[in-house]
Amino acid sequence: MAQKNRFEIRDITRIAVFAAIIAVLGIPAAIPAFGGAVPITAQTLGVMLAGAVLGSWRGAAAVAVFEVLVFIGLPLLSGGRGGAGVFAGPTGGYLIGWILGAFVIGAIVRGNIRKPSWWRIALGSFVGGVLVVYAIGIPVLSLVTKLPLGQAALSNVVFLPGDIIKVIVTTLITLALYRAYPAAFGRKPAVTAKASVSAR
Amino acid sequence: MIALYREGTSPLHRAPAGAKVLVFMIVALAITLSAENPFTVPVAAALAIIGYLAAGLGLGTLLAQISVVRWVIVIMLVTQLIFLPPLAAATNTGRVLAVIVLAALITLTTRIPALLDATEHALGPLRRFGVDPARVGLLLGMTITTIPVIMGIATRIRDAQRARGVPVRPATFVVPLLILSLKHSDELADALAARGID
Repeated sequence: MAQKNRFEIRDITRIAVFAAIIAVLGIPAAIPAFGGAVPITAQTLGVMLAGAVLGSWRGAAAVAVFEVLVFIGLPLLSGGRGGAGVFAGPTGGYLIGWILGAFVIGAIVRGNIRKPSWWRIALGSFVGGVLVVYAIGIPVLSLVTKLPLGQAALSNVVFLPGDIIKVIVTTLITLALYRAYPAAFGRKPAVTAKASVSAR
Repeated sequence: MIALYREGTSPLHRAPAGAKVLVFMIVALAITLSAENPFTVPVAAALAIIGYLAAGLGLGTLLAQISVVRWVIVIMLVTQLIFLPPLAAATNTGRVLAVIVLAALITLTTRIPALLDATEHALGPLRRFGVDPARVGLLLGMTITTIPVIMGIATRIRDAQRARGVPVRPATFVVPLLILSLKHSDELADALAARGID
């Protein structure tokens, strides 16, 4: 990160708050999905939202901060897991994939535009939140468990429906957030954001 | 803030955090690279047992750590048994389990502030790439203190919605959570800027 990418204090607090949101979404029963019928871990929802709302650099930073805290031993992963061990385990690759995934989501959703469109959010969260995460997670899973790559990918299929639901939920939430609090998407919570809404 | 740290005065507790992480990384790499060696799992298991005893944690703690990841083990074992011979599946799982409990040993014997300091210190060489270690330390500390705040916001939203009988759906919960949290973040930024931190 060069000098021009240096985070300001407003960025720092946003990153910290979003890292905390990802942590809170990992608490069981924090977010009951569809009347509790679908046991989705809301944590990956938080990862997708970080990229979609904060943009690429800040989104990836929020996920990275969350994971550093997990690494040093705070039990913040869903299910109360934490510590360096989870990065050494078979699912460690997915955690690394989250960081890159949030970056890709931010790059696709935000681009140079201010107002996120539904198809950009959906495409971004699918490419970044699913494809990128799998692209790093599955090879690591295969490497750690010595399972052939194809079979590692196959054992991953059970997570696909839940991840598709999260892409949809991310899209709905991001659009609703933009309508309710457009300042969340701008560097400066200012008049310009409101003006772009009324001009719509 | 709940942490996984256990009080203690053993040599492992007193060793510097950075050194512990470094040694663990070397050991984990060695275990992973010598996967084909039949002695890897027994040696790694012995190392874990010695480590837990040396830290004064006892074998009960070791078993508790294994129990934390029991579902990971079961899933790993089952998926591997489909494709691999039983011995290979067991060896792979044992190897991963050893690395996990060894990593947990660091977490159990090191305080969070010590690990935060070690992280800040380790980032020193990245200074030339524009990374400010002090800023990263501030960010990490701020996140730890923010988690209870966001948790409080989440509880408040749930209580308010339950009282009004709002149907519980991800969007109806997460949207207000995001709005209130991001407002909190902007207030925090203003408060810090007012104190001359930018």
